[in-house]
Amino acid sequence: MDKLTKQLKRDAGMIEVEISDELDRRISASLRGVSPVREAPRRRPMVFWWASSLTGVAAALALIAVLNARSERELPETIPETSPVAMASSPTTPIIEWNAESAMLTNPLRKELQDLQSDIDKARKKVREDIGL
Amino acid sequence: MNECDEQDLIEAAQAGSADAFADLVRKYRVRLLRFLMTRCASHADAEDALQDTLVASYRYLKSYDPRWRFSTWLYRIAIRNAHKMRRDNVVEFGDLHDEDSDPLLQCIASSETENLWVSARRVLNDEVFAATWLRYAEDMSINDISQALDRSTSWTKVNLLRARKALESELNGQRPGAEAYG
Repeated sequence: MDKLTKQLKRDAGMIEVEISDELDRRISASLRGVSPVREAPRRRPMVFWWASSLTGVAAALALIAVLNARSERELPETIPETSPVAMASSPTTPIIEWNAESAMLTNPLRKELQDLQSDIDKARKKVREDIGL
Repeated sequence: MNECDEQDLIEAAQAGSADAFADLVRKYRVRLLRFLMTRCASHADAEDALQDTLVASYRYLKSYDPRWRFSTWLYRIAIRNAHKMRRDNVVEFGDLHDEDSDPLLQCIASSETENLWVSARRVLNDEVFAATWLRYAEDMSINDISQALDRSTSWTKVNLLRARKALESELNGQRPGAEAYG
């Protein structure tokens, strides 16, 4: 036992108290004046805790399932009828790939238009030669 | 009184025998009163707290769990009563340095040196003081102290260690500062 423990024990013993006769009588009278509570507060066994927890989890899962089912039913109303995705994937509409390049307009518009027309004529002429017309 | 005798008395008291209960708590009364003297603002308050503790423990003896030591259960009620008594009287430990009213100083008036529990009360907070008392004055185990204070065993171990350091500083004449440990 170390020095501190010894001193704490010794000093606790130095605290002099006694139960006076008057206090003894008071305590005895008080004890006779009360009666023990017959029923101890009931402590629920662990199985109740588990049962209530599982019920809570099951209720939460059921609620999630109901909400999911309802939202699936409501889905067509919430999606617009002409969504871009629906249009692009429609089998009745052919997909056209435009291999077009944007024109770099550096001159006045009339001049540009003449140049473009000239290019088209050249291209048309080349195609005709290629196919033998 | 051995464990079997104590258990017999508990069962008789639970059946409603006030005499059996009086016999049961006879050996604890002085120890409880000594502890309460360190916790209450006056001698009368400490005696009232002891009376309330014994009455409450008799009244609710049915709720006593035999897995606990009976002394642990009694101390738990006593700590709660002392706290309630001090809260009702709005007394802080800082006010308990008047020798005329402080029950602890009255009980050690004949001592020539300063009682270490007076220092402990100055440097430790309520709960840590109670834990220290239960450990060193009552030789309670860490588990019993944790149950009496409704604290974890880790809390109890850590705070007992801090209390030791603070009290060792006091014992060696070094003040650990104004901080109340715990």
